[in-house]
Amino acid sequence: MVRSELIKRSPLRILEKAMGGSLGRGRIGVLASRKGVGKTACLVHIATDKLFQNQPVIHVSYSSRVDYIINRYEDIFREIAKKRNLESAVDVHDDIIKNRVIMNFKQDGRQVDQVLNSVRAMTEHGRFPAEVIIVDGFDFVNADFAEFHKFHDFAGQIGAEVWFSASLRGDEPIFDEWGFPEVLKPFDADIDVLITLGYKEDSIRLHLMKNGDKDVPGELSIRFDPKTMLIAE
Amino acid sequence: MFAEITRMRNIGISAHIDSGKTTLTERILFYTKKIHRIHEVRGRDGIGATMDSMELEKERGITITSAATHVSWKDHAINIIDTPGHVDFTIEVERALRVLDGAVLVLCSVGGVQSQSITVDRQLKRYHVPSIAFINKCDRIGADPFKVREQLVSKLDRNAVLLQIPIGLEDKHLGVADLVSMKAFYFEGEEGRDIRTADIPKELETEALKYREILLDAVSMFSDELMVAILEDHVTEDLIRDAVRRGTISLKLTPVLMGSAYRNKGVQPLLDAVLHYLPNPAEVKNTALDLDHPGQQIELDPDPSLPAVSLAFKLEDGPFGQLTYIRLYQGAIRKGDMLLNTRTGKTIKVGRLVRMHADRMEDISEACCGDIVALFGVDCASGDSFVHPSLNLTMTSIYVPDPVISLALEPVDNKASNNLAKALNRFTKEDPTLRTYVDPDSNQTIIQGMGELHLEVYIERMKREYKVEVETGKPQVAYREAISRKMEFDYVHKKQTGGSGQFGRVVGTVEPRPDGTNEFINEVKGGRIPKEYIPSCEKGFLAALKQGPLVGFPVVGVRVTLLDGQAHAVDSSDIAFRTAAKDALRGVLRKANPQILEPIMKVSVDGPTEFAGNIFATINQRRGMIVSSVEDGTYSRVDAEVPLSEMFGYATILRSLTQGKAEFTMEFLKYGKVPASIIENLMEELRERRKNE
Repeated sequence: MVRSELIKRSPLRILEKAMGGSLGRGRIGVLASRKGVGKTACLVHIATDKLFQNQPVIHVSYSSRVDYIINRYEDIFREIAKKRNLESAVDVHDDIIKNRVIMNFKQDGRQVDQVLNSVRAMTEHGRFPAEVIIVDGFDFVNADFAEFHKFHDFAGQIGAEVWFSASLRGDEPIFDEWGFPEVLKPFDADIDVLITLGYKEDSIRLHLMKNGDKDVPGELSIRFDPKTMLIAE
Repeated sequence: MFAEITRMRNIGISAHIDSGKTTLTERILFYTKKIHRIHEVRGRDGIGATMDSMELEKERGITITSAATHVSWKDHAINIIDTPGHVDFTIEVERALRVLDGAVLVLCSVGGVQSQSITVDRQLKRYHVPSIAFINKCDRIGADPFKVREQLVSKLDRNAVLLQIPIGLEDKHLGVADLVSMKAFYFEGEEGRDIRTADIPKELETEALKYREILLDAVSMFSDELMVAILEDHVTEDLIRDAVRRGTISLKLTPVLMGSAYRNKGVQPLLDAVLHYLPNPAEVKNTALDLDHPGQQIELDPDPSLPAVSLAFKLEDGPFGQLTYIRLYQGAIRKGDMLLNTRTGKTIKVGRLVRMHADRMEDISEACCGDIVALFGVDCASGDSFVHPSLNLTMTSIYVPDPVISLALEPVDNKASNNLAKALNRFTKEDPTLRTYVDPDSNQTIIQGMGELHLEVYIERMKREYKVEVETGKPQVAYREAISRKMEFDYVHKKQTGGSGQFGRVVGTVEPRPDGTNEFINEVKGGRIPKEYIPSCEKGFLAALKQGPLVGFPVVGVRVTLLDGQAHAVDSSDIAFRTAAKDALRGVLRKANPQILEPIMKVSVDGPTEFAGNIFATINQRRGMIVSSVEDGTYSRVDAEVPLSEMFGYATILRSLTQGKAEFTMEFLKYGKVPASIIENLMEELRERRKNE
C-alpha cells in the first residue's frame, strides 16, 4: 500500500468522521482513561497519523524517558507498516521522523510557562513549524484551570491542535452519571474534544464524550488493540 | 600465585571532562603512596597532575592518552587507567574498557549526568563493565548528590543506590556518613590522610536510617542470606557488602559513593569500595578467537600455569623506544619468554618487562594473568595479540569505527617532511581511528579521523613532539554514493585485437540495501559462467563500487546479484570477466538513480535552559534534525542529528552564543542522503575539489 492510501484507510478517519473533521488548529482534545489502558499508545498513533500527513508534531512528555517514547513511535510505525504492507517503508520512516520532536520535562517544579517557553523556542528559534502538539502525562489532578488555559491560548497563538492524555485516578466515583471524568470538570471550558477509553467485553472501546457544542455519539466503532497498541476498527 | 589474582583489580576511571577525574586519580596515587606531593590539574606549581603525562594535556587541562599506573591498597594491587572524557578520543576509552574489569564512573555533584557521562555509560554497558559511581565536587556551590543519584536512575537507567550520604555540602562539606557501617568518616591531618571514624551526627541520624533502609531493600534481592538477616534483625556489614558486590558484578546495581577529591574527602572509602565491590580478574569471563577454527570462541582460564594469552591495548613512544601496554588474560609472562604476535606471525622475545607509574617505570621479572604491564621495545600495533607460540589465538578485536573526516597536510620544509612520516607512523599505530595515506593525484598526505578536534590534537602533537610544522587544508567530509533503484544489467565485454581475445558476459541486478553494506550474490546456474570466474566477477564488481558514478566516492549499500552470463572456451579469462563485471556495474550504477550520502553525526548539547532557544537555532541553521530535548531543572540537553559538514567550528559558535555555558559531544551515527536543495551546489564543489586534487 502506498502512503496516501494508508492515510485514507486509517481507522482514525472513523474518529474524524464522528468528530466532523480533524480536531482543528487552536483546539484542545483530551484522551482520558484509568492508568495503563493505552492513552499514550493512542496519542502516539494519532501523532503518527499526522506525521504520515506531513504535519510536524511536537511530543511533550512529563513522565516517560525519551528513548521509551521513541521506541513507542518505532513500534507503532512498524505495526502500521506491517499491517498495511507499506511500500518503501524505510524511506517513509526516514521522511516522517524529520517532522517529530520529543520534548521531555520533569513535572516537579516545571511551570506551564517554562514548558510553553521551551516549546515556543522550538517553533521559533528551532524553526520547527509544529501543527500538532501531543502532551502526555500532564497532571490534571494537581493543576488548576489557569495553567491549563495557557495551553489553550498557546494553541491558538501558534495555530496547532493539541492532544492531551489525562490519567483518571483519585477517589471513586471517577466518572459522573454522564460518563464525564470528575477530574476534568474544572477544565471543561477549555476542552474541545474529550475521548475516554474503557473496557467493554474484553476490549478497550473509545467513547467520544464531548465535541464542542455538537451532539456526541458516545461509544465509537473503533477500539484500542493492546496487542498491536493501535487504534483499530 | 593463583591466590594473588583475587587481590588484583583493573579499573578505569571514566568520566565527563570537568568532573574532576584527574584530580581524583591524583589523590588515589597520593593515598596509595605512589606520589609524595599532590599537583592540581591546572596547578599553580606548573607541574600538572601526574597522570597527565603529555604537555598538551597539561596545557588544555584535559586528558588525551590514557596512562596506566599500578598502586597498592590494603594488600591489593590496583591497575588504574586514566581515560579521556572527550568523545573524539573515545577509542582510548573503548580500549581501556576492553581490558578492564571494573570502572569508577565519576560525576560532578553540580553538573550531574551530562552528555559525555551518557557516552561513557554507553561504552561501559557495551563492554559489560561493572561500575561504581563517585559523585565528586560535593564542596561546590549547588552540590546535590541526591539529584545526581536520581539522574543515574532516570538518565542512565541504572539501579543506583547510595552507600553514603554527605555530612554537609558546599563549603560545609565535612565528610561522609557510611550506610554500611553506620559510621561517620572525617578526613583530617595533612591532605586528609587520617580518617577519623565517629558516630553519625545526631541531625543526620534519621536521614541515614532512611537511606540505609533503601539500601538494604535494594541489595537484599542479591542475597537470600541478607534477606533472612534483615527479617531476623542481625544484619552485618559483611552481608551487606557481599550483596552489593554480587549486584555490582552482575551489572544490576551501581553503588554510589561521594566526596570531594579536591578537598581530600571520600577518596579512601572509594578505594575500599573498589576492593569490596569490583571484580577481580578471575571473576570476569574473557574469550579469545581461535584462528585455527574461524568463528570459534575459546574461554580463557586465569590460571598462571597455562600458556600465556595477552592483548596489546596501548602503545606509547618514550625516549627509550616503544612501550607496549599489555593485559594478560591467561598464563604468565617472564623475562626471556618467547611470544607470538598472531597478527604478524612474528615471534618476539620478552626483553624488559615493566610496571608503569604514569611517567616512571619499575622493572619486573614476571607478570601473572589478570595483570596489566608493559613490554619494552616491541614492534607492534595497538590491538595485537601476544600469545604463547603453541597457541593460535587472538583476542576479540576492539571495535574500530570508520573515519568520517579528512585533512590534507603539507609540511613546510624537507626536514618536517621526514619527521611527518615518523610521527604519522607512530600515531597510527597508537590510534586505529587515525588513518593516513598519500593522495596519488595531489601527492599530499591525508589524515583521516573521527572529528575536527581529534585531528587537531595530532597536528599539535606533531608540532610539539616531532617539531613538524604543517599547513593544513580545509577539513573534508568523507562522502559516499548510493543507488536508490533496482536495475538490471546485461553486459558483454569483447575484445579482439590480435593475439588471444577477451570475452565475458554478465547478467544480473543491482539494488539498494538499507543497512549500508555491500553484498554480492551468485545465482548463476548450469555453469553459464564457469565457477573459476565467479570470484573474478566479484572482484570486478568490487572495483566498480570503489568509485561512484556521480563524483567518484565509494558506493555503499548495494546488492549485486549475478544471475546469468556467457563464457568463451578460448577467449574467456579472469581479466575478461573482471573487466566485464566492472564495466557492467559502472554503467548500471549511473542508471540506478545514484545519490550522494554524507556522514550524519549524533550531537548532544548540554546547557542551561535559558539558552535552549539558541541551541535549537544552531542545530536548525546546520540542517540538523532535533530528535529530542530534555529539561531537568535549570539544565537541558538537546539531542540532534546533524550533517558533519555543518559542524565545523561549532564549538566556537556554541561557546559564544551561550557565554561558554553549553557544551556538546558528537559521534558518527550513519550515512544519510544529501537533501535535493543543496545537492547541485555540493556536486559542483565536490567535482571541483576532485579535479584539483
